Amino acid sequence: MNEARIPFTVIGGFLGAGKTTLLQRWLLAAAGRRIAVLVNDFGAINLDAALVAQAGADTIALSNGCVCCSIGDDLSAALLRLLATQPPFDAVVVEASGVSDPWRIAQYALAEPRLALHGVLVLVDAAGLAANLADPLLADTLQRPLAHADLVVLNHADRASSADLAAALAWVAQDAAPRHAAAAPVITTQRAALPVHLLFSLLEQPIHQARGGGWLAVGQAPGLAAPPAHDTRFEAWQPQPAGCFDEARLRAWLRALPVGVLRLKGWLLLAGGGWAELQFAGRHGTLRRLPANQPAPASGAAIVAIGLAGQVPVTTLTCGLQHCEVAPLMHAPALARRIGNTIDRSV
Amino acid sequence: MTATTVYSARRIHTMNPAQPTASHVAVRDGRILAVGDLARLQAWGPHTLDERFADKVLLPGFVEGHCHLKEGSLWEWPYLGWFDRRDPAGKVWPGLRSMAAVVARLAEIDAEMIAPTSTAAAEAEASGAAQAPLIAWGFDPIYFGGERMTVAHLDGVGDGTRPIVIAHANGHLMNVNSAMLHAAGISAETEVEGVMKFDAGPLAGQPNGELQEPAAMYLVLKHVGNAGLLAPLSEAGLRAFGAIATYQGVTTATDLVNRLAEADLAVLRGACGDDHFPVRIVPAFQAFHGTHGAAAGAEHVRALIATSTDRLRFGLVKMMLDGSIQGFSARLRWPGYFNSPNGTKNGIWVTAPAQYEADFETYHRAGLTIHSHTNGDEASGAAVDAIERVLARAPRPDHRHTLQHGQMIDAPMFARMGALGLCANLFTNHLWYWGDQHHDMTMGPDRAHRLNACRSALNAGVALAIHSDAPVTPLAPLFTAWCAVNRITPSGRVLGAAECLTVAEALRAITLGAAWTLKLDAEIGSIECGKRADFAVLHDDPFELPPSKLKDARIWGTVLSGRVFSASE
Repeated sequence: MNEARIPFTVIGGFLGAGKTTLLQRWLLAAAGRRIAVLVNDFGAINLDAALVAQAGADTIALSNGCVCCSIGDDLSAALLRLLATQPPFDAVVVEASGVSDPWRIAQYALAEPRLALHGVLVLVDAAGLAANLADPLLADTLQRPLAHADLVVLNHADRASSADLAAALAWVAQDAAPRHAAAAPVITTQRAALPVHLLFSLLEQPIHQARGGGWLAVGQAPGLAAPPAHDTRFEAWQPQPAGCFDEARLRAWLRALPVGVLRLKGWLLLAGGGWAELQFAGRHGTLRRLPANQPAPASGAAIVAIGLAGQVPVTTLTCGLQHCEVAPLMHAPALARRIGNTIDRSV
Repeated sequence: MTATTVYSARRIHTMNPAQPTASHVAVRDGRILAVGDLARLQAWGPHTLDERFADKVLLPGFVEGHCHLKEGSLWEWPYLGWFDRRDPAGKVWPGLRSMAAVVARLAEIDAEMIAPTSTAAAEAEASGAAQAPLIAWGFDPIYFGGERMTVAHLDGVGDGTRPIVIAHANGHLMNVNSAMLHAAGISAETEVEGVMKFDAGPLAGQPNGELQEPAAMYLVLKHVGNAGLLAPLSEAGLRAFGAIATYQGVTTATDLVNRLAEADLAVLRGACGDDHFPVRIVPAFQAFHGTHGAAAGAEHVRALIATSTDRLRFGLVKMMLDGSIQGFSARLRWPGYFNSPNGTKNGIWVTAPAQYEADFETYHRAGLTIHSHTNGDEASGAAVDAIERVLARAPRPDHRHTLQHGQMIDAPMFARMGALGLCANLFTNHLWYWGDQHHDMTMGPDRAHRLNACRSALNAGVALAIHSDAPVTPLAPLFTAWCAVNRITPSGRVLGAAECLTVAEALRAITLGAAWTLKLDAEIGSIECGKRADFAVLHDDPFELPPSKLKDARIWGTVLSGRVFSASE
């Protein structure tokens, strides 16, 4: 596998927002991928004994190849233990404590070359938000994680009134605005129902198979009700970038990606030769040059961005990328596909 | 053993109000048999009169209610602090008051490491490895008037090829040189926010060598292993701690954050199982876990209590609500920070108040005594609120729960603590070490004048201890008492004269007061019949010295459960 860096996702959110439910869901729905989940303690995770292959003091190994590790008081040590595991995991997810800032944890993925920052998800208890915000001890603690959320998940929507939901949406928009041009994309969920595919490298996922069923068509772990065959809440933008690109322009483009991009990943050929890896997650764009001694990426030139259905700014993205091209060559029209329902939007 | 030893002394200050002073104390089976004059003690029958302390002054062995055993093991690395500090061998390392002094000290250490006799050099040569890194601790930029250390300072040490890592006193930052940056793969392209960069000049955009917060330090720790404050406890470190305790007159000390996992327990039991280990250790279980860890934690501590020995006492639990005031991470009530460098309004919760309350209740219902780290007044208030509710749901007489640090608590909050039976262990060493910074930067004059308000605590009937939080500041209870008595800062400012303690009150706070917070006051903390024969042995009588010289009273050593430990041997 050419893609040696492991996608690293941080899950933030205050007590009761549904972080544990989400992690449990993903561990059970790994669908053949090996996920490493780091949690603050095991007590909250409730795993069927039949799924546990081996339980140690700080690691529980599941029969589906996933592991759940206790962070204890030393995330550095827990990460180093994970990174020493062979073969490498397909994804690492870290649960931030209810009061910690997930962006600080995301820094580990910017620090460790074997990890790639893949996403910062912040869960919000839509039903309990008003009560939490009313506590003067908590207001700043609730706001801080939003600054770098690339997806805000308004969970417990089934328990929230429409007024609660409207107030929560307004709060997210208002809080995010001072620091960013626009608020983070917001999705509403019940019981933290989010696709496990959000954890994996965008370039390795069978997005091109969307016509055949999309993200969730790979098969399900036992114990979960069968989800819909595909997730209509997300959408991808996947152009076929055949030309050469200017590094400085790409960096500038990544710094100011248009509103609506949840995350982006790509490999592009640079004008001066060599490959650049592009990554946008946690509202933070990164460009890294592939060292000359490393083989070209298996995917070849490729780029994928995802966002919420109907919110991906396809035209702006396409124009932006074209502007970074130095020697425009013929390339296939960029395509946007609504994942799962096979609707392509040609640009 | 029924042999009785009677020690004569120039004076014995007992801390027992019914008999404040005496000339003799009789010891049998490691405990105090009698206190008084020789005639009164002779009534107990045959004894050996030991006159080695005839010209010394005995006090109850000092009790440090909030310190960490790292105070001993940190000395495995060189010290770079601003203040003079004594190592376990008793050598005083002078404080380094300029960047030039820090660099000069580093150059000396580098030269020693190059010397063929040095073990580090030999090891590096034997393994064929790159040069051994130079790791040092205790540096605190807050004293350098805004000047920050950079690679420009550190690259002048030696030939610049040895990696240098300097852990800051607060444990949250480090400085490294260019060789270390290179080895760790840190460059202008490194995007980690805690990797600080030059913002101007020819090196603009290049890393300047300061690394903030765990992710940035992770890059270095990957290469050098856990350095400084993060290093695991070793038995050698524990013995070094014992040496410091002896020359500071300490016979009982807490280790106020300990995982108490198998490896930790093995080290503690190894040292404390030896009768020649000079200090009784009270480790507090590190109850830093997720929302579901408290039940297992409480069960763990309860099981450990059954294995307590005279020198190793389990049963304490440590919880933590906020950060530190000088790090601007403590939670403050209105009006927040005074003059923070980057406009920080408030600090952070280390534990969510709701989780603190739930976990506290679990440990409380298990019958354990909980010591809670609360530095800022908002954190102290949140703890008092939570404990008030827990006590209403689950009343428990004489719980001895204690707020640790409690530096900004005011009189009304002490009144609530008094009503709830909460103890306070205040961090009076801050008055000296950061008193000027609190006055000018963190909280401003109004609140700095009631910093660590010992008098207000006593007025409210709150059981009071005072502490060093060693290694944050040095283990030295007489110094801690001196801070509470004089409340003076390095610039000569007196912070809130109305909060000063008398010498007698301060000495009580470092003996019986601290023993009370550990629920050991029936055994230690005063010199009276039935208690452990724990003494601090002094050359000077602290009651005869002017209060401004309290910290200078010379200490000969200690007696722990009847065994004599001389600081000079």
